[in-house]
Amino acid sequence: MKFKKTDLNEVLKTLAREYTVFAPIVENEEKKFMPWAESKDVEMEGLNTIKPPKDVLFPNVEKMYRYKMGLEGFIEEIFPEDTKRILFGIRPCDMRSIDSMDKVFLTKEYVDSYYAKRRDDATIVAFGCTEAGRTCFCESMGLNPNDAPSADVMMNVSADGEDYVLEARTEKGEELVKKLEGLITDGGEAKKDTKCSLVINKAEDLDKKLAKMFEHPIWDKVTKGCIGCGTCTFVCPTCYCFDIDSENYGAEGCKYRCWDSCMFSDYTRLAGGANPRPTKKERLRNRYMHKLSYFNERYGETLCVGCGRCVEKCPAHLDISEFIEKASAAELGKEDK
Amino acid sequence: MALSEKDIELKIREEAKKALATGEVSCVIGWTTTRFPDKMKPFFAETEAECDELVWNKYCINGTAKYALDDRYPSKKFAIIARGCDSRAINRMLKDKQLLRENLYIIGVVCDGKENPICEECQHKNPLTYDVLIGEPVPEQIDEKRFAEVEAFEKLSPDEKYEYWAKQYDKCIHCYACRNACPACNCVECYADQYRTGWQGKASDRIQNQVYGLTRAFHVGDRCIECGECERVCPMGLPIMRQTRKMLKDINDLFGDYECGMPDDAMPVLGGYTLADPDEFM
Ligand code: SF4
Ligand code: SF4
Ligand code: SF4
Ligand code: SF4
Repeated sequence: MKFKKTDLNEVLKTLAREYTVFAPIVENEEKKFMPWAESKDVEMEGLNTIKPPKDVLFPNVEKMYRYKMGLEGFIEEIFPEDTKRILFGIRPCDMRSIDSMDKVFLTKEYVDSYYAKRRDDATIVAFGCTEAGRTCFCESMGLNPNDAPSADVMMNVSADGEDYVLEARTEKGEELVKKLEGLITDGGEAKKDTKCSLVINKAEDLDKKLAKMFEHPIWDKVTKGCIGCGTCTFVCPTCYCFDIDSENYGAEGCKYRCWDSCMFSDYTRLAGGANPRPTKKERLRNRYMHKLSYFNERYGETLCVGCGRCVEKCPAHLDISEFIEKASAAELGKEDK
Repeated sequence: MALSEKDIELKIREEAKKALATGEVSCVIGWTTTRFPDKMKPFFAETEAECDELVWNKYCINGTAKYALDDRYPSKKFAIIARGCDSRAINRMLKDKQLLRENLYIIGVVCDGKENPICEECQHKNPLTYDVLIGEPVPEQIDEKRFAEVEAFEKLSPDEKYEYWAKQYDKCIHCYACRNACPACNCVECYADQYRTGWQGKASDRIQNQVYGLTRAFHVGDRCIECGECERVCPMGLPIMRQTRKMLKDINDLFGDYECGMPDDAMPVLGGYTLADPDEFM
């Protein structure tokens, strides 16, 4: 199936009648996923967004319940509204990151009802990259920049560059494609030859190796330049930590949750003030270990999808892909068991 | 004759080795390469061999001085490769009593600017404070346009200003990179990290982002050394140095010519009080 590139706006308009369509839109000098409207400037191709689309499913700030104290006191849950949404045009790395978030929020006996609601309501149209950023290394992490296996609909540019080629892969995807009758035609050959810019040497069993490297001297060296900001975690499509806090006005208020960062000093601060991760060494070690080893242990896959965002944006030019190579090549010492 | 980039790099390595050889220095803070030719990262040379990894080129941009705060009670000295801006950062941190001079060994390097827009405005290419200097001192420029951007901005109406900053702070992701990179942000514990005080909400929304932005600008106050790191590190491209420049402009207007990070014993303008201080705004 395919539709003409020039019909993109028509397609989005048609979908927007029944869904809230989050598309890569350039506004306020920034490209990000936001609800489509006719006046918006959509940019499908080019590089991926700086901010990942994760906040459509896992918002930056989410109110959970409101309350009032006193005689007329109450507690009332705030639940995500019923909105059928489409995530339109997310890249394979970001699709894979949603697979990981699904595991976190929906499996192992605990279902996060807020995430589940948004996820159920969402149909995802992935888009094969036509260009790789200089920090993209998803192929080395086992992904394919041209294909997102778990998407509801996979979309690619056609070989002749004139069309977008679609492939519905799930029931939700079929349903979405049905709405486009009249705009889509049969056939179309997808162009799938985009290559990642960075190819890195990653040891096959790096996760198991790292599990033995908690005390390895590598951490002293690689973490020294870190300034402990939250940039890497907030631009990362797979960082899912949150904090819960409240906002109170007199006797009323609400509880909300918001993204947190393991790079912040208060992340592991205990009630009495003690902090088991007192310096950047322990904090960055946790971030890298979580991405490359702890997550594998619990969910059987690596949490870094190689999107390269943190590599591009780290103010101190720390580079997780460089770390992966260093750790892959590192010799284990006697303290590493 | 001015030294070439390569000459300076070799001198830096030589001075770094000398510093380590004294046995009084734990590491030399400078820069080294990454896999990207236009990104040089902060580097901490601890051995003679590592000194040969230190580099000097137009992409050595990150500030070096603030890393000395990683250990406020070091058993040995930090050696810092310091350009003009880094030396100003050191001077201010010394004045703020966040560092002790005897814990530092400063390798000053005359810097003719980096691949960084702020360097075009630099008034201190020569390090102001150092133990050893690499390069011949060069004449300094006066930046006539230092406050031009602020002056243009001041002409907007309050609503236009609000609209401008509201839009900017809608982009902010509340990562604190601007704070963490800034040598003026040298408090042992930032107000924003003091939990349960209710001063700074953790949520990244319009209100909390703006509360943070405003507080940052006011807390930096007279401490801004105009290095531009805050703006460079911001992943979302907020023009936040415009705020600290506004603080500096007001200080210049009220108290006379002022630049932060000079090697003098004067009380910081906002840190002291005299009867002659202007107070018509109170
Ligand atoms: S690794 Fe880089 S982006 Fe992440 S906290 Fe450290 S300095 Fe910030
Ligand atoms: S750790 Fe970095 S490269 Fe890996 S998924 Fe997160 S942002 Fe992307
Ligand atoms: S320019 Fe920015 S980073 Fe540098 S001292 Fe001023 S406020 Fe801090
Ligand atoms: S660096 Fe930019 S995005 Fe991060 S807190 Fe500062 S202004 Fe906000």
